[in-house]
Amino acid sequence: MSNPRQPTARLKFIDAGNQLVPTSGYTYAELAEIYNQARVDYIVPMPMNSKRMQEYVVHYDISLNGSVVAINEDSLPCGVGMLGLREGRSWITRLGVIPDRRKHHMGQAIMESLIESAQNHRAKTIQLEVIVGNDPARNLFEKLGFITARELLVIRRPPNTLTPNLAYDSIAPIPIAHGDIRTVLASRTDTPSWIEENQSLLNAGNLHGLRVATDDGAWGWIVFQRSPFQLTHFVLNYSDDWVARALLYYVHKEYPLQDTKIENVDVHDSLWQIYQQIGYLEIFRRTEMILDLK
Amino acid sequence: MSLIVVIEDNIDNSRMVAKLLRVADHKVLVAEDGETGLTTVFEHHPDLVLIDLGLPDIDGQTIIALIRQQPELANIPIIAFTAFPPDTAQAMATAYGCHGVITKPIDTRAFVGQIEGFIAKPIS
Repeated sequence: MSNPRQPTARLKFIDAGNQLVPTSGYTYAELAEIYNQARVDYIVPMPMNSKRMQEYVVHYDISLNGSVVAINEDSLPCGVGMLGLREGRSWITRLGVIPDRRKHHMGQAIMESLIESAQNHRAKTIQLEVIVGNDPARNLFEKLGFITARELLVIRRPPNTLTPNLAYDSIAPIPIAHGDIRTVLASRTDTPSWIEENQSLLNAGNLHGLRVATDDGAWGWIVFQRSPFQLTHFVLNYSDDWVARALLYYVHKEYPLQDTKIENVDVHDSLWQIYQQIGYLEIFRRTEMILDLK
Repeated sequence: MSLIVVIEDNIDNSRMVAKLLRVADHKVLVAEDGETGLTTVFEHHPDLVLIDLGLPDIDGQTIIALIRQQPELANIPIIAFTAFPPDTAQAMATAYGCHGVITKPIDTRAFVGQIEGFIAKPIS
């Protein structure tokens, strides 16, 4: 295993005439273009335009000074890696190298630069996600000292009409006032991934919420983001599984025409079974990995 | 001749499929993102839509759902064009109401026949 505090690949990369420069010198459109080129041959490419890149940076607290673009000896951008920073923690994301410019262990050089940047910002941990099946990336992260934390699911539900459920229909959920959503989120009990943390949701905005409480003591709430075309960022807290099903039922009954995408559901979370019962499909899996910098 | 809308952000891919379809005497309109693709489909009511699921602005699945919600477009053939693993791609295509899936990279010799087969296929 390489010691992440010894940036050997980064030094060799620079000695070979290449550079690692902060992403703050690039426009969002340029960063999106470099990222899209780098991910063109990935299992799940997920391209971005300028607007999506900007939203990504804002929603997930990406440090543009801590993130880097790799430049080769011909002064061409050949890869990118981004660093999110939050209160002593950090997150590596959007890592990629343009296929026909992959050499000099560029991916490792970018990673070492991001690790050093996280350390400079006093982060005690770095987390990241790698798509299951991307073995070269996973091997690199393990070489740098990252260990597997858990497996996460990206799931979707196409818009369709739910079969009416009289039991659920008899329970009237109460909308959570916008001003109360921050307080409600603060009471969540799950362990979210970076992009599903409260800060990500609050940065993203457009949050809505519902809560239920029954006479026999069952309770629950759901908070989610509603964008013009999609529902996403679901957070549920509940006393019983049927309450979670009822809350999801209400959301999809309220917005029957909206597509839904939920990222990073823990594969061992009982909520995954509940999502399946409401019509969700697994799209792909990610492995969450963590590097302890203490 | 059929009118086909290709919604694909990868220019190399869209050029290749458009060329193959045009050589086979089809009219092709190419859109490089979801919003443009949606507008093109709404304006032109094509005979078939070939759509990449990974688009830079709006997910391909969401675009498919929005097309399907228009009554006059509810039954036009939509083909998912994707690099997702075949099982996942097929499951998603079925769930979102696609007529089929063509996985990348395409088989250039079979591609036009696959597309024409979807156009000719009765609505299920």
